[in-house]
Parts: sequence; structure tokens; C-alpha cells
Amino acid sequence: MNRDSQLTGFERTNGRWGFRNYILILPLHNALNQLVDEVRTSHPASPIITSVSHDWSGEVDTDWERIRRVFSGFAVNPNVGATIIVGIGTEDEESIVNAARSRRNMPINYLTLKDAGGFEKLQERIFQSVSEIFPSISQTVRTPAPWSALVLGLECGGSDAYSGITANPALGVASDKFVELGATSILAETMEILGAEHLLAARAKSPEIGQAIIDVVARYERSITYEGIDIRGAQPSRGNIEGGLTTLEEKSLGAAKKAGNAPFTGVLDYAHLPTEPGLYFMDTPGHDIEQLTGFAAADVNITVFTTGRGTPTGSAVIPTIKVATNTEMALSLPDLIDLNAGTIADGTETVAEVGDRIFKEIIEVANGKLSAAEVGGHREFNLSRLYGSTQ
Amino acid sequence: MITGYRNNSRGVGVRSYQLILPSVVCSTHLARKVADQVGAISFAHQHGCGIIGPDVSGVNEFFVALAGHPNVQSTVVLGLGCETLQGNEVTDSITKDYPETEYVVIQESAGMAGALDSSIATAKSLQGDPERAPLNALVIGIEGSPNPELLQQITEDIQGAGHSVVLANRYKESSRNFGDLVRAKCHLILSFPDPLQPPSGYPLIPVITIANADSPLHLALVQEFDCHSNVNRKDLFQKILDVANGEPSKSEAKKIGDIVVPRMVRSV
Repeated sequence: MNRDSQLTGFERTNGRWGFRNYILILPLHNALNQLVDEVRTSHPASPIITSVSHDWSGEVDTDWERIRRVFSGFAVNPNVGATIIVGIGTEDEESIVNAARSRRNMPINYLTLKDAGGFEKLQERIFQSVSEIFPSISQTVRTPAPWSALVLGLECGGSDAYSGITANPALGVASDKFVELGATSILAETMEILGAEHLLAARAKSPEIGQAIIDVVARYERSITYEGIDIRGAQPSRGNIEGGLTTLEEKSLGAAKKAGNAPFTGVLDYAHLPTEPGLYFMDTPGHDIEQLTGFAAADVNITVFTTGRGTPTGSAVIPTIKVATNTEMALSLPDLIDLNAGTIADGTETVAEVGDRIFKEIIEVANGKLSAAEVGGHREFNLSRLYGSTQ
Repeated sequence: MITGYRNNSRGVGVRSYQLILPSVVCSTHLARKVADQVGAISFAHQHGCGIIGPDVSGVNEFFVALAGHPNVQSTVVLGLGCETLQGNEVTDSITKDYPETEYVVIQESAGMAGALDSSIATAKSLQGDPERAPLNALVIGIEGSPNPELLQQITEDIQGAGHSVVLANRYKESSRNFGDLVRAKCHLILSFPDPLQPPSGYPLIPVITIANADSPLHLALVQEFDCHSNVNRKDLFQKILDVANGEPSKSEAKKIGDIVVPRMVRSV
């Protein structure tokens, strides 16, 4: 194998690399969703503008640190070249802006409703701010990037009985290759390693890291039990069961295959940053979009999302590659899917062959090819909340 | 005298909106596209999957409250297919009382392009010119922290005219109090935002906003409010009648504000 990196990207001042160069408009209050969306769609720079909507209206409660971490991390994702944070004009918003600025030296404009003195005036200021930033962003060119530039997120959603034998192990092959070459790869979804944690812990680089994997799962199970709910009664989801999965443990054994066989370098809290290359586990909910948003806030720059039932979602800042676990779904929902791993079950390709196709697709998408979710304009966002549970 | 719209099984409303209701985060993007093309209301949210315990029934009940609101003429539920809160069951629980409701599911629609086409066709089939109808008993929500004297006066005026009042002030944030008022089937809302909160609206319900004189934020935004803090009872009551009869409130005209789905428990 040629070990020279085939990646190109945008080098950032904090040492990270982006594979897109967006102008992000990030509203910090749900009253601003609509006007931000209007700027994104109406500005001449629209193709490189991205934005999100969410339901936060400034409430500061037991989730405040998590909220601040997600917004500030999202604002500085390496796929973003410049960010316009739009708020009402509160101290809590300033705290989010300051946290973002401390993570990365980049153009971050903070515009407030209070300073603008009205919704239209705020909208004009956002529009003008995009116009001012646009020339420098559009002139930035890609340069050759090392393998370590890649921070790959591993995700699955709408899993079925094929997930653990087709798409997930094939993604594991691709993940192993990248880790071996010096990139970073992150497995997540704590619920979806429940029952498989001992197998992952055995692959930890140190006993402490192994124990951390076991502890994360135990803490997760306690936090759900605290709510008075037996997780095994709610999972696998009904969609999973219709897809042929029988138990949470079966789902977990299949889900963990996305991380291949590489050793684990570390365990990350939700939306926390990997510090050196290698394979990590991040403690996230299984909820697809909460996971994706946590990845975005942790500098993940490409995600591969395997799916058995078929799902359209994507991130406002991370290209998200969909891999179908079965050929029937890949054919029936063509505009949702980038690659079909169902060929493994069909007997026409091996896991290694599909793994190689995923590896190549990740490089192509990193280098600028649009994923199906990007073509579809998907920008789902989820502010993860714990609502005072023990974790 | 108020003239509203006969919204079929949902009663008489002060507006007549079609709601495109994504039953899960995964269909919110499609719902927005459909709503934009057929002139309906939709909203982005992050719920419907990975929910457990009280949130499964709680989110479903909230969706029913939105879909059955008297200002809603009909509802199209959009689901993905594999989510926790199954769209067909959300639809069933709406249809029970509000039959002008249909369901489209992405995973059985040959992809997003197919789902978009069938959703648009379904939405259009439910549309029609709503009949005008008299509305003798308005339900008016009052949210936030009104000055007690004005609250007492306007409540007297509203009730004296045969209408009723529902108060909501569990939260500092207007957008969360609106959730309580949609459940109470309020036709219209008077919003007295917290001093640190902006004037805001609600996609299905006209919201009249009243500024707080002690808030520097509100003073900076005074032209974004429908009324100043010193509004008298007569003018405020007239404003209620005007907006109920179709005059858009400021937040309504500018489409400010979004729907917040209440949650109790973390996602799994």
C-alpha cells in the first residue's frame, strides 16, 4: 500500500485540518433561527454558508457546561473557516463566544440583537458580516494534508441484522487502515457498546484506559436506572427489531465492529477533544444527531454512518457518508446512500473489498466530493441534554 | 365581534394553518421543504428517537396538542420509519379526534425525492379555503411577568367580554411557556417576556408582545414589541381584538420564534 497521504484540506491555526471551508452562522436563541436561515439561503455566498436551528432559549441549568461546550466546540470545528455567532446579548452568550475563541484563533464575529436594536437590523448585520468574510474564505485553497489531519467519526443508526456482518465490519477495516496510517478514529454511542464493553476494554492500550471503557458503560447504565427505566426494555428500538435484531447485546456486538481491531488510545467525555492520533471511544447517547453534534464539537471532520433501515440525516459542519448494510434498502432509498455494503451478504464482495471502497470514499469526500447528505442539504443539530440525571 | 376560521374537527380558530409535523428529527429537513412549497407551518426539533420513559408518551401528547390546535386546519405527519416514536402511531392518536390528518413515511417512499413528492401531494389534498365563522369565546394565554395591575385589568376586560384567560409562567423563557399554552388550546397569546428575553412568537399562535420598562434589552428593541409597558387596558384589549380578527402581530409578521418540544429525561 502507498503510505503517502492522499488527503488535501485547509490547515487551521490550532493544528487541526478542515476538509470543508464553511462560513457558519450559529444562532444562540431559538427566536433567531428563522432570520439566520433566511440569511443562509438568500446570501450570494449561500453554497458555502452553513447554519443550524435549535430550541435553546438561553436557559442555564444543570446542563449549562454541556451546552457551552457543544456550542463553542461546534463554532470552531475545523471544517469551518469563519463563524458568526448570533445572540440576544447576554453574559452567558459571551461565555460561549469566549470559550470558542480560546479554542481556535479564527474569525469569530459575535452579533447581538441588543446591539443591532431590532430583528431586521440584526439580519442586515449578519448579511454584511458574511459579505466581509466571504472573499478571504473563498480564496483559501486546499493544500496536501497528512493522514493525521483526518478525525473520523464512526456512527450507526437504524441498524438491522446485517449491520454487524456487512457495513460495520467493513467500516472497521477502513478505520483500522486510517489509524495505522496515523489518523484519529472515534467510536461512540455508549448504549451501543453495552454488553460488548469487555471486548473493547481488552483492546485498550493500558489497563487504565480499559477500566475507563468499563466505567463509562457502568455510569451510563446507572444514569438510566436512576430514571427508573430498564434500558433493555427500550432497546433495541422497534425499528431495530423489525430489522431482525433480537437483543441489545446483539446490537452492541455488531455496532462495536465499526471500530475494527485497532487498540484504544483513550476514552473521551461527550464533545471532548482527542489529543493525539489513534482510536478513541466517546461517551455519547445513541441518538444519531446527539452523537453527530458531539462529534462536531470535538473536531471530527468526516463521519461514516452505517444504516440498515436508511436515514437521510447529516451535520451542518461534518460531511457524513452513508453506508447501507443491505442491497434491498440501498436500491430502494438511492438518494440517501453513498455506498452499499450489502454486497457482502449477497456474496459478491468480501468485507476487505468493501472496507477498501469505504477507505477510498472517505478520501474522496475529504478531498471535496459531496456526500448524499450534503447534496440533500441536511444540517440536523441536537443540543444534548441530561436533564439532571446522574451523569 | 371576532370572525375566525372553521377548522373542521379542531374547532374555530383565529388562523387557519396547515401543520407539517415531523414525528422525528430525521424528517425535520423534509418537513421544512414540504412546508415551504405548500405554504404550511413546520419546525425543526431533535426528538422522536432515542427517547425513553415519560418522554415517549410526553412527546406524543405534545405532537397531538400541536396537530389538534384550533388554529390548525389539517396535519401531515412525516416519519422516517425506524424511530422510537412511530409516526403511524402518532398519526393514529391525532386522527382519533382530528380526522383531517395524513401520514407519509420516508423509508417507504423510494427515498427523499419520492417522499417530497408524495408529501406535497398529500398536503395539497388536505388544503382548501376555510369557511369563516364567528368566534364568541376566545381562549387567551398570558405568559411571563405582567405588571399585576395591568394583568388584573386586562383579565377583567377579557372575561367581561365572554372570553377566558390561561396563565403560564413556569419558565423564564417565553418559548417554553408557549408549550403550556398550546396544550391549553389558546387562540392567541399575550407575552410579557422576562427582562433578559427577547420578544418572541409562536408559529401556530399569534403572540402579542408587551415590553418591560425595567429591561435595557426591551428598551433597545422597543419597536419590535406590539405594546409598550405603559399600554392602557383599552388599547391592549383593542389590540387583542384586532389580532384575533387577522391583523398580524409583530412577531407573527416577522416569523420570529419557534416551537419547543418539552422533554423530561435524557436521550439514550
